Amino acid sequence: MEYYCRLGDGHLIKMTKEDMKNSIEAGTNDAAERGEIPALTDDEQEFLLDIMCNPQKNVSVEPGNEIVVTHDIGTIRIDGDQGNSGVGIPVSRLAGILIHERAFGTDTMELGHIDYSFKPVKPIIFQEQQTVERVNLLATILVLYGAMPNLGLYYYPDGPFNNPSERFQAGDVAGALEAQEKAAEHAHRDMVYIMKNLWDVGCEGVNFDTTAAAGDADFYATLMATEELKRDTGLVVEMGMAAENVIGIHGSIEYKGMRLAGLYPHEQVKVAEKAGVDVFGPVVNTNTSRDMAWNMARAVTFVKACVEASDIPIHVNMGMGVGGTPMFETPATDMVTRASKAMAEVAKVDGI
Amino acid sequence: MGKEELLKAVEDALIKLDEGALMKACDDALAGGVEPLEIIEKALTNAMTTIGDLFEKGKMFLPQIMVAADIMKKATAKLEEKIPADQKPEKLGTYVIGTVEGDVHDIGKGVVATLLKVNGFDVYDVGRDTPLQNFVDKAKEVNADIVGASALMTTTMVGQKELIELLKKEGLTCKTMIGGAAPTARWAEKIGADAYAENATEAVEVAKKLVGAE
Amino acid sequence: MGMPIAHVMASGMQGIRAAGDLVARMQFAKRMRLKEAKEYVAKKLGVDVIELVDVEVMRNLREELDIGVVTSVPGAATGIEAKARIAELLGIPIAPVERLKSKLE
Repeated sequence: MEYYCRLGDGHLIKMTKEDMKNSIEAGTNDAAERGEIPALTDDEQEFLLDIMCNPQKNVSVEPGNEIVVTHDIGTIRIDGDQGNSGVGIPVSRLAGILIHERAFGTDTMELGHIDYSFKPVKPIIFQEQQTVERVNLLATILVLYGAMPNLGLYYYPDGPFNNPSERFQAGDVAGALEAQEKAAEHAHRDMVYIMKNLWDVGCEGVNFDTTAAAGDADFYATLMATEELKRDTGLVVEMGMAAENVIGIHGSIEYKGMRLAGLYPHEQVKVAEKAGVDVFGPVVNTNTSRDMAWNMARAVTFVKACVEASDIPIHVNMGMGVGGTPMFETPATDMVTRASKAMAEVAKVDGI
Repeated sequence: MGKEELLKAVEDALIKLDEGALMKACDDALAGGVEPLEIIEKALTNAMTTIGDLFEKGKMFLPQIMVAADIMKKATAKLEEKIPADQKPEKLGTYVIGTVEGDVHDIGKGVVATLLKVNGFDVYDVGRDTPLQNFVDKAKEVNADIVGASALMTTTMVGQKELIELLKKEGLTCKTMIGGAAPTARWAEKIGADAYAENATEAVEVAKKLVGAE
Repeated sequence: MGMPIAHVMASGMQGIRAAGDLVARMQFAKRMRLKEAKEYVAKKLGVDVIELVDVEVMRNLREELDIGVVTSVPGAATGIEAKARIAELLGIPIAPVERLKSKLE
C-alpha cells in the first residue's frame, strides 16, 4: 500500500510505509548528527509515521494539545501584491491585522511595512508611529512591530560599507570582517532608534524576523539591539531566526563569550535568552529535493532539542519552506497540518 | 609510510589549516614517491570537499575557508614546480555568477562564488540586481563554461528563465545552473537549466560534475 | 489560507474566539511556557484549562467580562478598551493602555 506524501517543493508523491519510515529515520539522524543532539526516540518516530500515514487529508492535535499561533508579516500577506505569498487584496495594514484577529483566530499579530527590513523604516518612522497608534486603538490581540535586521542593506551598493562577498573574493579577509563589524554597529543603532520611537507611541513589542540571514554579524547586531531595548524600554521581544545554523560569514564574533557562527537552534536560544529575548522562533529549512517525511522528522528533531534547552517560550517558524512546511508559496494544507501537529505533539513547542 | 597514509597526512594538514604541516606533508609525499598531480587531485581536492562539508554543517566558517584556499594555493604552486609543463592541471572551469535583475540578495550568491573560487574555478561575479545582458556579455568575454543565476524570491526567479532563454538566443552553449531560496530542481528542469543546487557546498559538487571534473 | 488558517485549524487556540490571545499575552509578558500560561489564564478566568479553547464557554465568558469578543456586538469592548480590561484581568501592563493612562493623567 502507498500513502500520499510530498517533496519539499510541494510536489505530490506516493510512498510506502516502509519508505516513509526510512525517511523519518534518516531525517532525524541527519539533524542529530549535524546538531549533536539526540535523534527522536523510536516511539516518537512511530508517532510521526502515524501522522504521515494518516488517511485523512488534514490532521489536527488532540483536544488539550492546542498551542499559541502567531503571525509575522501577516498584514502584508493580505495586501501584498508582489507575486509572492501576498494575495493582493487592497486593504490597509490595520484591516489586515483585524482580519487576522477576527476572521483567522490568530493569537498575536504583527505590523510590518512592505519592504520588511528595518533600515528603510528609519526615514518613514512617523508614518509607522501613526500606524501603530491606530492599530493600538482597534486591535485586541498583542501586536508586535516586525522587520528583518537584514545586514545586507548596509553593504555596497545598498549601504556605506564594503561588501564582504567582494572582499572575500578579492582575498581581503580583514576587509570583509571589518565591513561586517561596522555594519553590525549601524544595524544595531537603526533597530534601537526605530523601536524606541515606536515604544514612545505605545508599541507593545518587536519581532526580529529572519535574524542572522546575513550571518553571525547580523545575529550579533540583533542581540545587541535586544539587550538595549530590554534595558531601556518595556518592549517585549521575539526573535525569529533565518536558518537552522548561523552561517559563519564573520566566523569569530562572540556575544557574552559565545561564538555565534555555527550555532544550532538549541544553542541559539541560550544566547537569545542572555540578551533578554522573551519568545524565540527557531527555523529549520526545508530541503526541496527530499520528501516531507524526511524534512518533518529533521525539523522536529532540531526544534525538540531547542524546546528542551530553552527557558523561554518557543514559537517555531512554520511558513513557506521552513519548519516541515514545503517550499511553495501556497503550501498544501495536508503537509501544513501534519507539520503543525508534529511540532505541537512531538517537539512540544509553545507556539507557532 | 605508505602512499595512502602520505596522502592522508596532506589532506589532514589542509583541513586543520596548518600551513607548516601541509608543506611538510607535501614534501614527505613527494619524497615517498607520490606523483605531485596525484597529491593535488586526491589529497588537496578531497580536503577542500571536506572543508565544504564542514562549512555546510556550521563547523567551519568563510574566513577559515579563505585561509584554506590560501595555503592550498601555496601547496599547489610548490607541487606544480615538479610537474612537467604539458601535464600541469588545468583550471576546473570558468564560472560567471550573479543574482538576476530585480533581486538585491547578495549573501548566498557571494558564498557560492567564494566556495567555487577556492575549489579551483575561475569565478566572475557580475553582482546582484544584474541586468541579464550583463551575464551574457561576461560569459562571452571570458568564454564561460557555466553561468549560474541566483534568485531569492518567487517574484524574481522568472529572471532565471529569461536568462536561459537569452543565453540560447545569443548562441551560447555554456552550462547553466540556478539556485536561491524559492527555486527548486523542478523549476530548473522546467526552465531548461542544466542543474540546480540546494546549497553552496552542493553547488560546488554540481559545478564540478557539469565540467566533467567528477 | 494554506498557512495561517491551516495552522489555526490544526493546532491553534483560536485567538479572541476563545482564549488564545490571553495565553499568548502571558507567554510574551512573563515568558511563561505553554502549560504555565494556560494554567495561569484558566485560573484568572475561573475555568478548566481544556475550556480555554472551548468557544461555547469562552464566547459567553468574554462577553460577560467585556474583554472583547470575535463577533460584532453593539456596546461590547473592542481594541484599547478590551485591552485595558485584559491588563487588569491578567495583572500585566499593556503598553498602549499604559500610554493612554499617562496621557489622560
